[in-house]
Amino acid sequence: MALPGIQHISPRDEHTEPVGPLMNYTLRPAQRFLARTMVLLALLVTFQGPGWATALTAQEDDPNPHSDAWLVSEVQSVRPGEAFTVAVRFELDPGWHNYWRNAGDSGLPTTIDWNLPSGWEAGPIQWPYPHRIVAPPLVDYGYSDEVALLVDLTPPADLSPGSSVRLGATVNWLICREICLPARGEVEVTLPVRSTPPEPDPRWSELFRDTRTHLPREVAGWTVEAELEGEGYRLTVRKDEQALSLPDSVYFFPAQKSVLAHAAPQEATYEGDILRLTLSPSPYAQNPVPVLRGVLLAEDGSGWDSEDRTPALAVEAPVQGVEPPGPTQEGTGGQVGREAGPSGTEEGASASPEGLAGGAGQDADTATMALALVFAFLGGMLLNLMPCVFPVLSIKILGVAGQGGADRAAMRRDGLFFALGVILSFLALAGVLVALRAGGEQLGWGFQLQSPLFVAFMAALFFAIGLNLMGVFEVGASLTRVGNRAGLSGGPGESMASGVLATVIATPCTAPFMGAALGFALTRSLAETLLIFGILGVGMALPYVVLSSAPGLHERLPRPGPWMETLRNVLAFPMFATVIWLIWVFGQQTGITGTAYLLSGLLFLSVAGWLRGRWPRTDLRSGRVAGILAALVLVVAVGMGIRGSAMEGALSQAVEGWRPFSPEEIRETLEANQPVFVDFTAAWCLTCQVNERLVLSTEDVQAAFEARDVALFKADWTRQDPEITAALEELGRSGVPVYALYRGGPGSSEDPHLLPAVLTKEIVLRALDEVLSSGTGAPVSSSPDP
Amino acid sequence: MRVLTSLFVATLLALPAEGLDAQMQDPEIGAPAPSFTLPDTYGQEHSLADYQGQWVVLEWLNYGCPFVQKHYRTDNMQSLQEEYREKGVVWLAIVSSAPGKQGYYPPDEMNAMNEENATKAAAVLLDPEGTVGRAYGAKTTPQMYVINPEGVLLYNGAIDDRPSANLSDVEGATNYLVQALEEAMAGEPVSQPTTQPYGCSVKYEG
Repeated sequence: MALPGIQHISPRDEHTEPVGPLMNYTLRPAQRFLARTMVLLALLVTFQGPGWATALTAQEDDPNPHSDAWLVSEVQSVRPGEAFTVAVRFELDPGWHNYWRNAGDSGLPTTIDWNLPSGWEAGPIQWPYPHRIVAPPLVDYGYSDEVALLVDLTPPADLSPGSSVRLGATVNWLICREICLPARGEVEVTLPVRSTPPEPDPRWSELFRDTRTHLPREVAGWTVEAELEGEGYRLTVRKDEQALSLPDSVYFFPAQKSVLAHAAPQEATYEGDILRLTLSPSPYAQNPVPVLRGVLLAEDGSGWDSEDRTPALAVEAPVQGVEPPGPTQEGTGGQVGREAGPSGTEEGASASPEGLAGGAGQDADTATMALALVFAFLGGMLLNLMPCVFPVLSIKILGVAGQGGADRAAMRRDGLFFALGVILSFLALAGVLVALRAGGEQLGWGFQLQSPLFVAFMAALFFAIGLNLMGVFEVGASLTRVGNRAGLSGGPGESMASGVLATVIATPCTAPFMGAALGFALTRSLAETLLIFGILGVGMALPYVVLSSAPGLHERLPRPGPWMETLRNVLAFPMFATVIWLIWVFGQQTGITGTAYLLSGLLFLSVAGWLRGRWPRTDLRSGRVAGILAALVLVVAVGMGIRGSAMEGALSQAVEGWRPFSPEEIRETLEANQPVFVDFTAAWCLTCQVNERLVLSTEDVQAAFEARDVALFKADWTRQDPEITAALEELGRSGVPVYALYRGGPGSSEDPHLLPAVLTKEIVLRALDEVLSSGTGAPVSSSPDP
Repeated sequence: MRVLTSLFVATLLALPAEGLDAQMQDPEIGAPAPSFTLPDTYGQEHSLADYQGQWVVLEWLNYGCPFVQKHYRTDNMQSLQEEYREKGVVWLAIVSSAPGKQGYYPPDEMNAMNEENATKAAAVLLDPEGTVGRAYGAKTTPQMYVINPEGVLLYNGAIDDRPSANLSDVEGATNYLVQALEEAMAGEPVSQPTTQPYGCSVKYEG
């Protein structure tokens, strides 16, 4: 699936992930300006979309927007083995802030990744107390204007005096005002190594002094206790020494995440020398914490020591009644891990069929191919039950009965040649289809029926077969041998011809399974396509092969007799029924005048047949005259058919409630958040017609469509239509019927729910329920329900 | 008592939002999720009640937020949206940014942003007044919620355990949302029903 956003990634990426020296903040102003301009230009070119706040755009190239960071050392030199303090110092633009160790409701704590020579050790960050950043309803904890984070560094004892060391770090921080931007800086400081005691760097002494007054400290004389109260906590602060005094206003900054509700008011009650602070739990708290850590800030400008020089009291209070994490709780943790186990296994199990379908390399591909072959085989078998094949099958069965078990070997041979005919014609059709498609033709399964001429020919053929079965005329010399029509045991050629006939007739009926198998076939190489079509033929021919070669089967069939003439005549009726269908298709393609021409052609055909039947003996003069006349009449019939075929029908007549297929209109409808149902159909597709008559046009289904405000589109493929062929291809199909239900709304055009080829009311109603009620695309199911 | 409380809260929320704006409710896990009705970018209204009987994921969204971008540029969010849509989960993204603030777009521009980001959410709902955001205690973008087919809130919190805006942190992170969904949909209790969400603050009005 295409990800439209992908081409825009690179320019915007550079602001989240500034890498490489070009983007370093150490660039000189001119370079910086140039880089910024170039990125802006690139952005203007590549990113036309609306939206991005200008404040954001202006910062695209800046690794540390609205802020700068430096690494400074408290001392001027390093003494081997002697710890000293450094500061990562931030300057922030007015109104912007970065974050404390617990960022509060949003935001992100600053991180420092040290890049120190080997043997060096860096201590934890010493965080000055933050201030509350209130953006109702949220409260964050962070810093504004200026801040320094202190870290103690310990050099190894074996440093050689006289050398110098380069200390570096990568600092990541989030800088926010209304919006948030990730910032990053490579900071470093180089210090000489001396054996003498280090001297403080006068440039930074004030910075370190100030920062230290902001660090929370423990102050002797205070006891802080914590206990659970309700689902929250109560902090009790006791003064143990007279010299100290409780601040008038305090705020507790929890250092732990997910423990307290940051925005909740902290209710303070004073009781003599005791202060009680009620703290609300975080909505994200799992269990009460055993120890409450944080900073108790004197907000009234006083302090916790007698000189009021320590505004922030460091708190680390065990919570009474909460067991510290011991083996028991770790056991619980293990339990969680074990519980997660089964779902992991399940995932693995559910992943494997996907692997089979299209995952790893050639094996999976082979598996996909095997699956397609199975579907092709099943689809081929099902073809025998299609209304357009059944008449031919009837003739074949009549043939079996007619032979009355006379020649078992001949029957077996007949069956095999029939199969050969079927398979070869499938292969031929596939070859033609592939060749035409290679030539750029937009064709799919059933394509031959998109040609009115072919339909006319088929109608004439079936009409002639019907007349023949009725006994109007006979073909060849075998006047009396019933059942040898349409190539029964009349020889391999005729057997094969009947196979070809069956195949040709079968093609319009894209059976369930076949659509998918064929759609798949057409995406494969020529050899694989042919293999799939071949298997399709095998599937179709198999029942007859079994029938014709099963020993003892014919013994169960009735003995030949006059009943066969009756049956033969009766079989003419399904032939005529097929003719009616073909004429109807033809009528859709060519209109009423075209149909009149075809019917006239059939009339002349019947005249020719009658002439032939009335005076069959070509050795007599009357017979010869009749033969010539019949041939002339036949020419007229053909002329009529061709004339009719050239007619243009009014195809896209709007059917009530259905709009003609238009990709643009469908897209627009979906974008307007209206669901869409597309009926890919063709007049020559019997399954389609049955579905339309018995399911789609019923009151129940129409009412369901209306109730859910589904826009109905009919993609009529009766005649060739490249747009519809392309749409079918997109759905992975190459023939009709296909029914696609789109949910409507963003992205839904790529996520149709495909209904099975054979519809029932229940299937349609359920699909409407599932897809449209959920507001989400249900999994695409291409295989029909059993 | 919990049920009563949440019923009370739900009743409050059903009232006109005036006077509630500045307040934030943190919805209770295991209680009915606050009901809501919001228009999507096409003007169609979606109510939580519409999805009774289905699993619902709520995602608080602000396309301008680097933490959100982290999950969209890596295709992490879209993959999850697609994966769970296929499992029948209704995924609703909710934008509570107020007009003029980051992440707010008029419906048309929001559609363009949706396309740009190739979102696979079932719908992107607009909550410019922040009523629903506050009802759900949505603090950050992204912030994720899981609601079961009975309408009960089962998860509220972060998408994963790597609070950063770094694209490379998506891989290897423990995805809390996936964990909650998988456990809940398998009928097991959610081992971590709440986690601290991370990201940009939701840009509420005021």
